[in-house]
Amino acid sequence: MKEKLIFTLCLILLLFAFSVSVEAEEIRISAAASLTDAVKDIIAVYQQNHAESQLLPNFASSGALAKQISAGAPADIYISANSKWMQYLQQQGLIDDPSEQVLVQNRLVFVGMPGTAKSMADLPGLQRIAIGSPKATPVGRYSEQAMKNAGIYAHLQNEQKLILAKDVRQALLYADRGEVDGAFVYHTDALLAKQAKVLFAVPQKLYPAVVYPAALTVTGAGKPEAKVFFAYLFSSLSQGVFRTFGFVIPEE
Amino acid sequence: MLILSPTDYQALWLSAKVASAATLVALPVGFGLAWLLVFGRLRFKALLDGLINLPLVLPPVVVGYLLLLLLGRQGPLGGLLQKFGIQLIFNWKGAVIACAVIGLPLMVRSIRLGMEQIDPQLLHASRTLGAGWFDCLRTVVLPLSIPALITGSTLCFARSLGEFGATIILAGNIPGVTQTIPLAIYDYTSTPGGEAGALSLCLLSIGLSYLVLMLNTLLLKRFQRNQA
Repeated sequence: MKEKLIFTLCLILLLFAFSVSVEAEEIRISAAASLTDAVKDIIAVYQQNHAESQLLPNFASSGALAKQISAGAPADIYISANSKWMQYLQQQGLIDDPSEQVLVQNRLVFVGMPGTAKSMADLPGLQRIAIGSPKATPVGRYSEQAMKNAGIYAHLQNEQKLILAKDVRQALLYADRGEVDGAFVYHTDALLAKQAKVLFAVPQKLYPAVVYPAALTVTGAGKPEAKVFFAYLFSSLSQGVFRTFGFVIPEE
Repeated sequence: MLILSPTDYQALWLSAKVASAATLVALPVGFGLAWLLVFGRLRFKALLDGLINLPLVLPPVVVGYLLLLLLGRQGPLGGLLQKFGIQLIFNWKGAVIACAVIGLPLMVRSIRLGMEQIDPQLLHASRTLGAGWFDCLRTVVLPLSIPALITGSTLCFARSLGEFGATIILAGNIPGVTQTIPLAIYDYTSTPGGEAGALSLCLLSIGLSYLVLMLNTLLLKRFQRNQA
């Protein structure tokens, strides 16, 4: 009786050991918050055909993710919303440099209630304009640069017309609820607004291109499954998903 | 060690201003509510109690969002105030309201505890000697609640110094206008190379909170000495 019990226990243990060896390989993706919906969609499609790997996305601001990775958080793929944080990790030797490549681009637009403004020149006539905090968010820095280059920043700043929000989504919320006359947001976020409409696209010559660089981390470069998914992100199938969410695919 | 930029000094000054104003707003409101909860004969006491304690349970961001819905241009109260030219969001007043609402439960709880300690015999005595409810409140309840008022104010002030979530939604993160110390720290931590600035402000916050706690003990001791 006792021997039988031990035999069964051994069998169960063996079963566990076996099941661990065939468990799906985990791929951890740290992606900028603005990519949340698109990357989730891409993962859902990929997972249907690739049961061998388990994809675990982590969405937060690019800076928060970079600091997590720098502090030793597990990540195989990092997608940043600006090149500054990518460089921050590259300098620490945590990124597989040859793999780094621009994944998608975004555009800056001005949203608000229809008829509020038609171009940058109309903005000084408004009362309140929401932007992301220029210190904390890349979109805030781009908005600030665009206003500076259009020659309207000093006026808006002195008149205290700029409402600095925590992030781009909060700026969008203010515009969508009509708490402000308008807001600078990414084109991809503008598509989520219910009341507010895109009033005009900010001319590209006023601000640097908004690029999303993606790269394998040093640990990710050692995982074949991570490499396969990384390549899949750049496939035409994934690019189609990014386009539907309002991103621009960089020209080769 | 301590590197502070002009906007950091503004943040420090603004934090002190907002926390003081929030405490001054919450103090009479908190006293009134605590009095109602302890001595009032209300039908829906539990409901009122729950409502006051809501900010303790809800994430501050949600409280900020609800306040924005209420006080915003489109909001029921915000629209009304706008007709009188009163603007509460996106300026320091918005930060005060956010902090006062978040700090109110702590204020009410402290004062309530103090009021519940009051010997009912004293209240009965004052009534039999012909004091009305207001006289009783002014001459018996208020003086005996002073230690609780001090503790409640300290807690409310301290909580206001650290308030982040509700403030950033209701008042925004505008340097020099609504950027208090926690908001400035947030800005620093999301900037590459902002660690030194963030740490300096953290040290400042720690120093400030010790100062407030020390002041609290000092005031309480002084009060007790005067009593003796």
